[in-house]
Amino acid sequence: MPYYRCVVPKDSVPYEQRAAVAKAFTDIHCGNTGAPRSFVHVVFDEADDRWDTPYFLDGGNRAGRSEEVKAELLSDLMSAFREITGVASDDFSGRITEGPAKWTMEGGMVLPEPGEETEEWYSHGQAAAGG
Amino acid sequence: MSRVSFNCTMQEGQIGEELRAKLAVALQQITEDVLGESPDDVPVTFSNIPSGFGFRGGEPSTTSLVRGSIVGGVTQEVREDLMRRICDRWMEISGCTVDELVVSARDV
Repeated sequence: MPYYRCVVPKDSVPYEQRAAVAKAFTDIHCGNTGAPRSFVHVVFDEADDRWDTPYFLDGGNRAGRSEEVKAELLSDLMSAFREITGVASDDFSGRITEGPAKWTMEGGMVLPEPGEETEEWYSHGQAAAGG
Repeated sequence: MSRVSFNCTMQEGQIGEELRAKLAVALQQITEDVLGESPDDVPVTFSNIPSGFGFRGGEPSTTSLVRGSIVGGVTQEVREDLMRRICDRWMEISGCTVDELVVSARDV
């Protein structure tokens, strides 16, 4: 379950932009990894977290992808966020941490490792998305 | 420090306050059954994602997340047993579908 938590200052990102970022993140994640859309979670958190920048992307993904894929994914996500919200580069930073897929159950199924996805898993993900 | 703890994140308006106590008791009971932990030693916290702040698949989300942490870790067989029981019981109590729940049990 990719989980992208966008830490933002209070009242700084209106709903229309949040929805646009969520859609863009879903497009980017699925385009980079091939994961079903229904597995991509995006949350906006107006928390008082103390990061180095006022805006922060705290992502969590399944472990096992190449460094190249991970770097491209983070770069694409951050670019999309900046383009949609207009936040300056100096005000935005991010990271993606990883954990074993087998630690998570989603849709009643233990997540497969990247590259070990089955047709059943893809089918379930598409059904969950309603398409 | 408790060996096992849970943090539950829910979309605002999806699961009523009155069900949270039942869900917490269920998580504690399952943890006792599977891992032998005393229910009193299993803290359960809840937090809400405000409406319009949570998305899944690019659309507004109705999904709840139950995140368990297990100090010292467990075997994968035990982990899957724990997660499946949580999944089944959570759906039973909350009325959500299997696609509206993510359960994790991570070793720490």
